[in-house]
Amino acid sequence: MDAAEGRPSAHEEPEGLAPDWRALADLVAEPSRVDSLIQVCLERIGRHLGAPGAALYVPADGGLRREAHWGRGEFPFAVTESKLAGLGAVELPGGRLLVGEASPAAERELRESPWGVLLGLAVRLVSTQQRLKRHHFEARYRGVELEALYDVGLAVASTLDLDRLGEEILTRAISLLDARRGAVYLLEGGGYRLQRSLGGSPPEAIAPDDPRLAELLADGGSARSELWPEATHLLVAPVELRDEPRGLIAVADRETRRGIAPFRDTDHRTLTLFAHQAATALENARRHREALEKERLERELELAAEIQAAILPKRLPQVEGLELAAWSRPAQWVGGDYYDVLLRDDGGVVAVVGDVVGKGVGAALLVSTLHSALRLLTAGRGLTSELFRDLNHYLVRASGSNRFATLLAVDWPAASNRLRFLNAGHNPGILLRVGSGVELLRAHSLPLGAFGGGAFELEEVELGAGDLLCLYTDGLTEQPSPSGDELGEGRLVELLAGLREQPLDEIGSAVERHLAEFGRGRPRQDDQTLLLLRRA
Amino acid sequence: MTETLKLSVDRRDGVAVVYTDGYINNEGGEEIARAAYQLIDEGYRKILLNLAGTKIVNSIGISILIEVIEKLLEVEGRLAFCRLTPTIEKTFQIMGLTQFADIYADEDEAAATLGS
Repeated sequence: MDAAEGRPSAHEEPEGLAPDWRALADLVAEPSRVDSLIQVCLERIGRHLGAPGAALYVPADGGLRREAHWGRGEFPFAVTESKLAGLGAVELPGGRLLVGEASPAAERELRESPWGVLLGLAVRLVSTQQRLKRHHFEARYRGVELEALYDVGLAVASTLDLDRLGEEILTRAISLLDARRGAVYLLEGGGYRLQRSLGGSPPEAIAPDDPRLAELLADGGSARSELWPEATHLLVAPVELRDEPRGLIAVADRETRRGIAPFRDTDHRTLTLFAHQAATALENARRHREALEKERLERELELAAEIQAAILPKRLPQVEGLELAAWSRPAQWVGGDYYDVLLRDDGGVVAVVGDVVGKGVGAALLVSTLHSALRLLTAGRGLTSELFRDLNHYLVRASGSNRFATLLAVDWPAASNRLRFLNAGHNPGILLRVGSGVELLRAHSLPLGAFGGGAFELEEVELGAGDLLCLYTDGLTEQPSPSGDELGEGRLVELLAGLREQPLDEIGSAVERHLAEFGRGRPRQDDQTLLLLRRA
Repeated sequence: MTETLKLSVDRRDGVAVVYTDGYINNEGGEEIARAAYQLIDEGYRKILLNLAGTKIVNSIGISILIEVIEKLLEVEGRLAFCRLTPTIEKTFQIMGLTQFADIYADEDEAAATLGS
């Protein structure tokens, strides 16, 4: 193009390189209109060079990005230096100009022209804006990081499920560090076990004394490691509480717009801080879980004690020709003992003392079942072997394994001088005869609910006037003294023998007092039950 | 959640809904940008990003989303988000995305409001 032809005269619409200063002044006055400024420049340049279009490229993230364009042409959005050079781009201060179908001769003219200079200035402005934007973004992102550190404490602490805990920690760590991959390990059974991972296959377990781990922990985050070969850059921080290792957080392959990069010192600090927060939160979660579990257990034991207390007879029935006395004292949370006295239709009585193996609601429910079943099955009649066989079958099926009941049941028909009894795995009943005979009603049957078979044959013994029968549970005879010595059957027999002339209630109280003295006021280890029966 | 982002697009009348499944990182962000620019070229001015399948977004992903928002604003369009996790929603708020893009709890509400 001829330079003379290109120069507009003062009266023509400015088409050439002499800028339309007034219009430009307006654009420059508004800082947000830099896009429009660039557009105008591009258009002017394009028209001047007779091109259908023009585009401005600025450096960004290792390549060049199209900042603005006018008209038509092949103007890719993101492009490398070499590609752009290949397309015939012209260098400008701070950028590149690509003009569709421009003549190469115009290049120098462009650079040294007012439009070129303006464009150069505009490019500088755009770069500054970009830098500001980036700084602004990063400053704001500090806010996100702080929020994340604060949040991890809260979120992790409120998550009680260990599986979700691992996931929370992992996703937050990965997001926080712009990582592609990550893994969370918790110390279990002496080694670090993989809880969750994202982006590849980290090892399932890491030994705490693995030298590769020590290397990783010492390194700043640019290392590769055999521990996780897929990762190009691995950063690991220990999760520790009061210097005790609890786990590991690993992140790998930090992303930038340009690609994967090593972790920096700030990242190392951030992850360490994050791990510290996670440790505290994990600890809180663990304590919370433990407290809940403890609470749950206590509640269960309370419930068991309630069930048991509800079952025990409030009053003993008045039976013609027979004296009765009983007490049952539970240990603090054990609920296995029970006793009952049932009236027979003929005015006689069935008395039973039982002890269920186990603790908690399960045991209490078995006691309750036993209590109800015996009442239902005897229904005013006496005891039979068949009754116990049926009861046994039912209990074997209904109760869990390892749950059974020992029991000593006696059946006294009204005015009879004989007593029938069944001792199913229970401690022997003590029968003090008038005179000085002592007989023991020993167990010849297995406990109820233990095995499906068993005859449960009832036995008989004489019960004369004045004879005293004592049924009790092993919590009584196993009462320890402070030196660990147990009360034992022998001492109980002696004690009863010495008290036998007293009213039954007095005997009961005396035994209770003696036990308390024997144990020197220590809390009961097991339930204690005593049932006394004397033929008038 | 898969690791590489998967996208699906539902082109409706006036509003395009983009569903994400996976980590919105550099790669994922670029996928979203590509889809969004394609939709803009097709003439869509209202885009709804449904992030129900996304649990993690990193800073690169966010910066790309900001670019997409700016691009849409240039053509006088609007971008909206729905089904964000509380963490991601909070991050977007801190990063100022909410000044230029609306956040909705569920898709129907979002599509209706955006489309109107």
